[in-house]
Amino acid sequence: MTTALIDTSERLRDVLNRLSSMSVEDYYNPYQVFDWPDSLPQEMWWMSPELTTTHGTEIAAELSQEQLYRLSKYESVNFYSLNVHGIRELLIEVTRRIHTDEFATPSEFFHHFIGEENEHMWFFAQFCLRYGGKIYKQPRGGAETIPPSKAASLLVFARILIFEELVDHFNSRMALDERLDDTIRKINRIHHQDESRHIAFGRELVRILFEGFREQATPEELSQVSDYLGRYMTYSFESLFSPQVYRDAGIPNPFEVRRRLLTGPRRPEFEAQVFRKTHSFLTRYGLIQAPMAAPESAR
Amino acid sequence: MRQQTTAPIDQIKGWILAKHENRTDVAADEDLIDNRLVDSLSFVEFVFLIQELSGVEIDMDTLDIGDVRTLAAIQKRFLAG
Ligand SMILES: [Fe+2]
Ligand SMILES: [Fe+2]
Repeated sequence: MTTALIDTSERLRDVLNRLSSMSVEDYYNPYQVFDWPDSLPQEMWWMSPELTTTHGTEIAAELSQEQLYRLSKYESVNFYSLNVHGIRELLIEVTRRIHTDEFATPSEFFHHFIGEENEHMWFFAQFCLRYGGKIYKQPRGGAETIPPSKAASLLVFARILIFEELVDHFNSRMALDERLDDTIRKINRIHHQDESRHIAFGRELVRILFEGFREQATPEELSQVSDYLGRYMTYSFESLFSPQVYRDAGIPNPFEVRRRLLTGPRRPEFEAQVFRKTHSFLTRYGLIQAPMAAPESAR
Repeated sequence: MRQQTTAPIDQIKGWILAKHENRTDVAADEDLIDNRLVDSLSFVEFVFLIQELSGVEIDMDTLDIGDVRTLAAIQKRFLAG
């Protein structure tokens, strides 16, 4: 059913061919492309200040410039750590599907995707370990939340798309931000380049998978998918706010700080900026039916 | 928000109940994960709340999931004494 939609979509085939050729043409050796200086300057922004979780809040107002720089460093290490964990999850899911009947058509592109993600994971991990001394851990557990079962692949690729678009919001801005060190700009620029292909592919595939799902789904199943994706976006956004980061930056009461930021006046605006394109894509095609979900922290 | 007078374990219970409007109580020995009271998207908040209330740092690599499966286990492992 969905297989047929994937196999017969000429538009998808064109996109796959174009993106696969671009992957071949743009191919670079990630192990040679970075210089990795021994250290990066501490007294400067590591992340564009507008992209840090405390920007424009009363919490940032209480910090010295030096503390803000330090916070931006740990926020950036958390951001790249989220990439490492997110890539691990998506590699597992895409690898599970490559060269299966259902995903025969995109399998050629999956080779590029898997190869590139492996390399992204490597350079993000390098950055964290070299300049942050660690990769932040991410609490994982709880009951699996994937309703309904025939939406499994749809939700996998929708999650990947949401994650890649969130990351790209940061990458595309930091790549151009002259306040940042060259190494930081470069890692963001290179990732942004590859991700523009992944996102273009993800949007096509998610659209087709949803088309197949919608034809058979009940209104209740459609609203389950919508709720799930809304919650997943909230969850992804909130993972940018790390108590461990606030602690490393020397900010007291890190859990309380996190809660204040998540319930504070800047949060909705920041979240809307991060997901502006994603949200409009998901609502345009009917995957998400309502405005942004209530915050996980306030549920 | 949180009242000083509420015991930590009741704050955790309150957090769970707030997410499940159809529930009025959670038994001390009820499996929070098998009963889908804590799912993969709320687990992070759940772990942060336990850490905040207990003052105990949780290392995800060494966390025994059995220690957070029930309110009784959380009480015993993180909140006792
Ligand atoms: Fe990537
Ligand atoms: Fe990607």
